[in-house]
Amino acid sequence: MISDRYPDADVLEQRGHWDDATRQVVLDRVHNVPSFHYFDAQARETLEALCARIIPQDHRPAARRVPIAPWIDDRCASDTGVGFRFDDMPDDATAWTLGLAGLDETAQAVAGARFSLLPPDRQDLVLEAIRQGDPPGDVWRRRVPARRWWIQVALKQISGVYYAHPSAWDEIGFGGPAYPRGYAALNFGAREHWEATEVPDSPPAISGGAAPGAVPS
Amino acid sequence: MKLDVRLSPNWLLDLEMREYRPQDAVDFCIIGTGAGGGVLAQRLARFGFSVVALEAGDWHDSERDMVSDEAGSGRLYWNDLRITGGQDPLEFGANNSGRGVGGGTVHYAAFCPRLHPSDFRVRTLDGVAVDWPISYQDLEPYYEDMEREYPVSGPTHFPWGAPHGYPYAPLEAGTAGQMLIKGCQALGIRVVAGGPVAIPSGRVGKRPHCIQRGFCLLGCKVGAKSSTLVSHIPDAIARGAEIRTACMAFEIPLDQAGRVSGVRYYRTLPGGRRIEEEQRAQAVIVAGYAIETPRLLLNSTSERFPDGLANSSGLVGRYLMAQAGPVVWGRFPDLIRQYKSPPACALSEAFCETDAANDFVRGYALQTVAPLPIAMAHLIAEEDGRFGEGLVRAMQDYNHDAAIGVLGEILPDERNTVTIHPTERDRFGIPVPHMRFSLFENDRRMMATGIARARAVLTAAGATETHAVPRYAHLVGTARMGFTPADSVVDRWCRSWDVPNLLVCDGSVLPTQGSANPALTISALAARTSDWLRRAVPAGALTRRPSDPTAVGSDGRRVRAPAGTARRSQSDVRAASAEIVSAGLAEPWVGSTLPSQTRRFGTSQLRHQRSTTESAGVKPIRAVPTRWA
Repeated sequence: MISDRYPDADVLEQRGHWDDATRQVVLDRVHNVPSFHYFDAQARETLEALCARIIPQDHRPAARRVPIAPWIDDRCASDTGVGFRFDDMPDDATAWTLGLAGLDETAQAVAGARFSLLPPDRQDLVLEAIRQGDPPGDVWRRRVPARRWWIQVALKQISGVYYAHPSAWDEIGFGGPAYPRGYAALNFGAREHWEATEVPDSPPAISGGAAPGAVPS
Repeated sequence: MKLDVRLSPNWLLDLEMREYRPQDAVDFCIIGTGAGGGVLAQRLARFGFSVVALEAGDWHDSERDMVSDEAGSGRLYWNDLRITGGQDPLEFGANNSGRGVGGGTVHYAAFCPRLHPSDFRVRTLDGVAVDWPISYQDLEPYYEDMEREYPVSGPTHFPWGAPHGYPYAPLEAGTAGQMLIKGCQALGIRVVAGGPVAIPSGRVGKRPHCIQRGFCLLGCKVGAKSSTLVSHIPDAIARGAEIRTACMAFEIPLDQAGRVSGVRYYRTLPGGRRIEEEQRAQAVIVAGYAIETPRLLLNSTSERFPDGLANSSGLVGRYLMAQAGPVVWGRFPDLIRQYKSPPACALSEAFCETDAANDFVRGYALQTVAPLPIAMAHLIAEEDGRFGEGLVRAMQDYNHDAAIGVLGEILPDERNTVTIHPTERDRFGIPVPHMRFSLFENDRRMMATGIARARAVLTAAGATETHAVPRYAHLVGTARMGFTPADSVVDRWCRSWDVPNLLVCDGSVLPTQGSANPALTISALAARTSDWLRRAVPAGALTRRPSDPTAVGSDGRRVRAPAGTARRSQSDVRAASAEIVSAGLAEPWVGSTLPSQTRRFGTSQLRHQRSTTESAGVKPIRAVPTRWA
């Protein structure tokens, strides 16, 4: 369960202190969510289900969940470049289309149904197979390297959309834009008077970190 | 035309900018306005040359265009298509590219260390890669100039390389930076606080000091962080240079005599219409950085240069280097709030030099970095591909994380290349570059040791767990400078061996890269090349190809390059540069003027036609010091 680490956080409340250009960019993101116009219905369902497993938002009321899939769809439609493409990958929009098809293909092979129709724990098994880099499915074997798709396309783009949203900033206690007033409380993790207070929860649940003390010879 | 670009809250750049007609040959057409091109334009304009600098992007107005927002800052980067491959494919766009006036300096972290003297001699000292054709001493005076002109904050005594001090006091470090300092102190590792970083700890002209906003990597809305956009380009314009934006160069044409005649480019007009133009020029300087520079040369084919302009050596696009830039972060029990204060604020160069105890040569620096939320999420994703609750909970620890960047020297290798993709085109229809990049054994060992060291530092500072992702930063090396036409693309003055009036002056000329962020070195090289051009052009140096120092004369002895323009003028050149600083760079350019004289270029006196749009309203106020005339 994801706890509310900064229950008082509401970075948008500070918008009156932001400069015009920043305020416009952030509020536009919050209030003008694009409608779907790229993916077909099945791909859209798969994408929505994928977003919900990569960034679970069950702990938020439905009305306060950060929309992610529409931005991925919009990005595929507008073909805005990110500056590069791996030479073993298709272009971004095609990688999404193929990857979502691959996700359904793997779901059929692993769990016998389309990805969006599986319960969350089975969905996670499918994603784990893709994360490991060698999932069953023709798409992954012939068209798109699974591990590359997982990191570069699915994870980075979905997390990129989510952590661009003020609600996500509230979740992690990020103070957000600070021009023109700047930050003043700089030392020892101090809090600006307008920043949220952390309510520590159970010990950190991170895994995979190295044991402390590995010193190079 | 009258400019209308805000560079800081109280600095509106509203100079009348000179405009040249494309059909009139200017002295220099520079391609790019970053760390190299920005300084070149400023210096050459000050020296009385007529200058047009082509910039593919637009102006960055600090109020209108820069935002305190990661996802909303895409306009800072080169987002056109590039293809990447190799065993360890590099990512492009974002942090290792720049677009718009000021180039990558607009969004760099602003760490501005110098190279060490040993960095220029790695073949001699370590038996790897190549030596530079110049020494640290050749560049040192220009480092000093750039540190004053950017300007750079840092300690009074910087202990590594050739010890030196900085003109501005050390910057205040936030908590994240203090973790690097704390960990190094605990382990007895020498570390410096507050620089070298190009954020002056005080007011400079119309640039206020830093407000600790922490969004350095997305452009400085305050105008405190130095970039050529605020440090050199306003002066370039005041001295008569034209910065021509929205111009994407696609070919440098060669004339019958084997000289370049100008630059062909696509210009996007206000409203979006695209036209093709050619700016005529007596000489061309390519300053497009390590990908666009070789791309442009390789795309400029001719009967004489079927494999790309100035590429008789076959080395254009070879020896692509990225700097190793693994990010290592630790979780601390106490709050850090790493988003406050400039991410660049402390570093250690204790491990930059070759150490016999290592199983590799050369080394790495440890520097503060402070990923904003999206960057942090990407690091976590890249570390192990985790998702779901594991990802979200790790991100909830954001305010407990402090990070260190390991900035390490990857050695140049011929197999790491920029070539032209046979079929892919960008949105202009220009063939795109294809990069291939692989690490080799020395690189891998260096990165592993650097990562282990950074983990140890964070642990010593109190981190309860550490994480690492191998990443890369900075791109250099694809048009290297060297000793002979066979071993390099340009000579010690950044001049093409093949084409007398073509120069390359940006990160691509670096033969090796050390463990220093390259911006200051690129600007120092640009200042040095400008000083040389000031003397070399009147002496006719750009009318003939550089002599091959390996050529054998009739007496059987090696022919030395003609002295004439080279090397003789270091002290004189220093005086001129110092005067530039005192004459204006430390103060705003209000009331300064456009130089009125033209300069003898080669053997012909140039006359410049002004376009009808700019001739009115330009009032000469202060002349360039006469000793430069």
